[in-house]
Amino acid sequence: MLTEDSRAIDTRHLGFTMSPHEECGVEEAVRIIEAHGGDSVVLTLGPSEAVEQLRDAMALGIDRAIHLQTDGQEWDGEATAAALTDAIRADEAASGRFDLIFFGNESADSGGFQVGARVAHALVRPCVTGLKRVTLEGSSLRCEQEVEGGRDVYIVPLPAVVTVKEGLNLPRYPSVPGRMRAGRKPVAVSTPSRPEPRLELVRLVVPAGQGRRAEVLGSGAAAAPAVVEVLRKAGVL
Amino acid sequence: MTVLVLVEQAGGTASDPSLQALTLARSFGEPVHALVIGSAADLGPFGVRVTHVAEHEAFVSYAPDAWAATVGQLADRLAASAVVAAGTERGNEVMARVAARTGLPLAANCIAVAPGPPVTLTRLRWGGSLLEEARLHSPLPLITVAPHVVPIEQAPVATEVDRFTPQLKEQELLVRVLEHVAAPGGGVSLTEAKVVVSGGRGVGSKEGFAIIEELAGLLGAAVGCSRAVTSAGWRPHTDQVGQTGTKIAPEVYIACGISGATQHMAGCKGAKRILAINSDAQAPIMLSADYAVVGDLKDIVPAISAEIRKLK
Amino acid sequence: MTAVYAVSLAAALIIAGALFVRRALLLYRLVRMGKPASRFGEVPARARAEAVVVVGQSKLLQRLLPGLMHAAIFWGFLVLFPTILIAMIGAVDPHATLPWLGAQGWYALLVDVFAVLVLAGVVTALVIRKVQRPPRFKGSHIGEADLILALIAGIVCSLLLWHASQISLRLNDYPASWAPVSGLLARALGGSVVPYVERVAVWVHVLIILSFLVYLPYSKHLHVLVAAFNVYFGRTRARGRLEPIAFDKAEEDVRFGSARVTDMTWKQMLDTMSCTECGRCQDVCPAYATGKALSPKLLIMAVRDQLMTEGPKALAASGYTPPPIVPNAVTDDIVWDCVTCGACVRECPVGIEHIDHVIDLRRNLVMVESRFPEEAGTMLRDVDRSSNPWGKPQADRTHWAEGLGVRVLQPGDPAPDVLFWVGCAPAFDERARQGAISTAKLMLAAGVDFAILGPREACTGDPARRMGDEYTFQRLAGQNVATLNETGVKRIVTTCPHCFNTIGNEYPDFGGRYEVVHHTEFLAELIRDGKLDPLADERTITYHDSCYLARHNDIRSQPRELVAAVGKAVEMPRHGERTFCCGAGGARMWMEEKRGRPINHERVREAAATGAETLAVACPFCTVMLDDGVRETGAKLQVIDLATLLAEAVERRKVKSLGPL
Repeated sequence: MLTEDSRAIDTRHLGFTMSPHEECGVEEAVRIIEAHGGDSVVLTLGPSEAVEQLRDAMALGIDRAIHLQTDGQEWDGEATAAALTDAIRADEAASGRFDLIFFGNESADSGGFQVGARVAHALVRPCVTGLKRVTLEGSSLRCEQEVEGGRDVYIVPLPAVVTVKEGLNLPRYPSVPGRMRAGRKPVAVSTPSRPEPRLELVRLVVPAGQGRRAEVLGSGAAAAPAVVEVLRKAGVL
Repeated sequence: MTVLVLVEQAGGTASDPSLQALTLARSFGEPVHALVIGSAADLGPFGVRVTHVAEHEAFVSYAPDAWAATVGQLADRLAASAVVAAGTERGNEVMARVAARTGLPLAANCIAVAPGPPVTLTRLRWGGSLLEEARLHSPLPLITVAPHVVPIEQAPVATEVDRFTPQLKEQELLVRVLEHVAAPGGGVSLTEAKVVVSGGRGVGSKEGFAIIEELAGLLGAAVGCSRAVTSAGWRPHTDQVGQTGTKIAPEVYIACGISGATQHMAGCKGAKRILAINSDAQAPIMLSADYAVVGDLKDIVPAISAEIRKLK
Repeated sequence: MTAVYAVSLAAALIIAGALFVRRALLLYRLVRMGKPASRFGEVPARARAEAVVVVGQSKLLQRLLPGLMHAAIFWGFLVLFPTILIAMIGAVDPHATLPWLGAQGWYALLVDVFAVLVLAGVVTALVIRKVQRPPRFKGSHIGEADLILALIAGIVCSLLLWHASQISLRLNDYPASWAPVSGLLARALGGSVVPYVERVAVWVHVLIILSFLVYLPYSKHLHVLVAAFNVYFGRTRARGRLEPIAFDKAEEDVRFGSARVTDMTWKQMLDTMSCTECGRCQDVCPAYATGKALSPKLLIMAVRDQLMTEGPKALAASGYTPPPIVPNAVTDDIVWDCVTCGACVRECPVGIEHIDHVIDLRRNLVMVESRFPEEAGTMLRDVDRSSNPWGKPQADRTHWAEGLGVRVLQPGDPAPDVLFWVGCAPAFDERARQGAISTAKLMLAAGVDFAILGPREACTGDPARRMGDEYTFQRLAGQNVATLNETGVKRIVTTCPHCFNTIGNEYPDFGGRYEVVHHTEFLAELIRDGKLDPLADERTITYHDSCYLARHNDIRSQPRELVAAVGKAVEMPRHGERTFCCGAGGARMWMEEKRGRPINHERVREAAATGAETLAVACPFCTVMLDDGVRETGAKLQVIDLATLLAEAVERRKVKSLGPL
């Protein structure tokens, strides 16, 4: 369901949640800290409600949060990356360098596939994307990326930026003491100003044919060629 | 005003998503130039005037920053008016790095474009469940094309090949594939499979899964099943797709003899396309499926297998 | 001589008393160590439970033979109690007795009669245990029970023998004619040994009693001492209600269920001490009946054993941390096998509340350890994030009602007479929705002013709560109570017994007080008021009672009124209060049944054996579970919600009243 101006989804009855890629990133960060020590920060750019997702991340074990608060308007990937880069630089200046920065491979909503790479470039750090496994090996990181027929392996020195995908791990169900503690962990809030987006959303459209009943390809064995055509179109043949 | 398209290829053949990208790229105008990394491919039939083959010793293994540098250098040299790539993992990754290096906006997963300025485009959001109409304000539009949406169209032209060696810095080779680990044998996992073929109570017996396995084998697909099947002991619990089983997100989900109980549909709601094969045209799964074949799966599934064999 | 006897008795009393007090004090200190539980108010209700369950032996008498057996021994114990004093006096001085009572003929008669009854009880018990050998004793301490029976027999036999020898020696203060059994025995006694028999009998009697006193607190027979207390402190209000956790405290003060025996409430400790290992709970447990890891009896015994070994260490050293109950005393599987159907709680003669133990173990595993069957994680996340267990969009909550003309209550609308609380299963599950559709149609037909909340309705939190995630439950409860209070509704109808139980019995703890009515009650009321006029037909119907209706909430007659209004009823062996779960309760709906045989198959077979054509249900989860069971077992049964059957019957009447065309 879209809002009246078709510029956003009507979120009145939707609960916001962290997307699966990001949740895996948070879980991995927590696991690395648990195994190797250190501390962790979760960072997001979003409306005031997004603090809930920051709390969720802290419930999983992240130590503190940075919230770049927006007024709910959409930010494109370029602007998002710039704001995150500024925030990371500021935090590093105050609290020291992050050895590892996790991003979700792509955002669930806008699907831009670019914020991690942009931040990494700005910070001049190596960036590996689409990871299904990361292993800390001393001062470098072994990264596994799923490709046709297996996995490609990268090894990069720290500090580094990685973008991860769902399936990287199975995020824990947050413990209640963890959830209660998350409410008391610090969230640093700032409100960056939004530049005019260069990828400018005009409107959202629900694709034709959604929510209808299945297209009947035929009945019995005679439908086989039509099925094969569907498979071919889907790019799986 | 040259449109540059990054073409991914294997063994001299361009990938389908790249051919789709070439098709959409022509919306920006002519001429269309292609960039292939490593070795050439015949792209004349797809409207490519010049195929630029980038050669460098570093290209023995994939290095996304090196690819991005190469795209950037060629786009500069050609004074390209737009750069297009397929919206594949690599296409998106390389274009994100091109965007970062050039400081320009990137529109990922487009399905339609019209030249500007500003470029107007339509792109997929929310995994394809919503379309975004947008304007791209950029001196050099950077675009990736959503796979398997734009139909490939041919536009044969006389084509030539230009071989060149990009200038790569050491830093651009820092991130590169060092090793390829082949997927362990024993088939594809349910969570990772591009195609899942599932059987429900309608399959009738443990032995009835032979035809399901055959079709899955031909498609390189994983075999799944409903809760009823694991309850009956026909398949192990690890094969179960559903609320209390595995959650899957394949490109195509083929549900054979599955009525579509809520418990089951909760496990396959991530599927891009659902094809239901069911004798009951009123089964609940018909409300969630994109395609349906009505009839006895014992006839239909082997017929599909036979049809695929004909193609191969 | 009397002085020697007196000194000997005093010595025996002191030794036995000291041994007893030492043990009893330990048990008392253990219970005092327990975490708080509010079980002190409502004295009349507690007194009633004491009278019915303890004195009246109501739970035991549900099974006739073992019930009579126990009642005989128990009532015998009450009647014979003063004879302990009489015997002690007699042991010191054969010529003395308890003033007044010792001389009463009627009391002598009572003693004789009950002594025989107790003996008969002991013999019956032995026959049950040694000949009948019911499976409920599997895992119980058989030898201990034998010893106790032997002691009881010894006490009664020595008493009778003592009385017989007294009569023979004319030492009796009561008229011998009032003691027929002892009198009969006295005739068999004769000669010079009788005085010695008298001495030996009374001393044996007293010493067995004192040994029994010492042995009691070390054995499962402790129930003699604590069961009466345990029943007294039992639940007085809604059985389906779980005790809420107070989260608004410092983290270390919040009790996240039980990790260790030291985390248990005093009532839970008393529970474990009360257990007599009779196995009635095990006998009715659907998990145990289908070959799963859980036996409620073995669970309580295991927790008791852990309490008895670890509790004293914790008392001795304040810093001592006992090992966790799970998996040391109880495995994870046992904790997750429970369907919270309450059959065990209902059956238990000594007032053990097994569900509370299971839920507390789950609470700790889920909320602190994040440990639970992996497949249930989706439900927990979806309930938390999407406000329903399937993770469906809230906006889809009204899809089931499309085209019915059901009003969706908007914020600010005046409250309808009745709020129809749909529940997640009818809103989102194809099979479960039929009952809700029929209920809505019937309410429309009867002209009821009702509305639904649509997307403002969230999961009640029941599945999360039964899984042990009290935190998520309380968040949802708070949200729903706020929504409901804002609408100003007074009366809520729901088709889901779980929503019914949660809103009716548990939301009052969070400030939500409404009259909650199950749709079977409401529809029966509409028929009684003449607003619905069904026509029964010849269809045979067996009705499956939902645990959360029939057992936890005593709704048994109204669904049967509906059955009678639409067809011919035939009952399953396990029905009403003693119904057998469908397998979905206690959040089992969201877990795979990997151990034993499927519970739903077992139930469907029981239903099919009645020969009924229709298996009527009154719960969306029972609908799905039993429908699956019918499909999987191939039983010739149709699983249909009572509302749908009623809608058909109302239609039938309409067609008939139109007459032949």
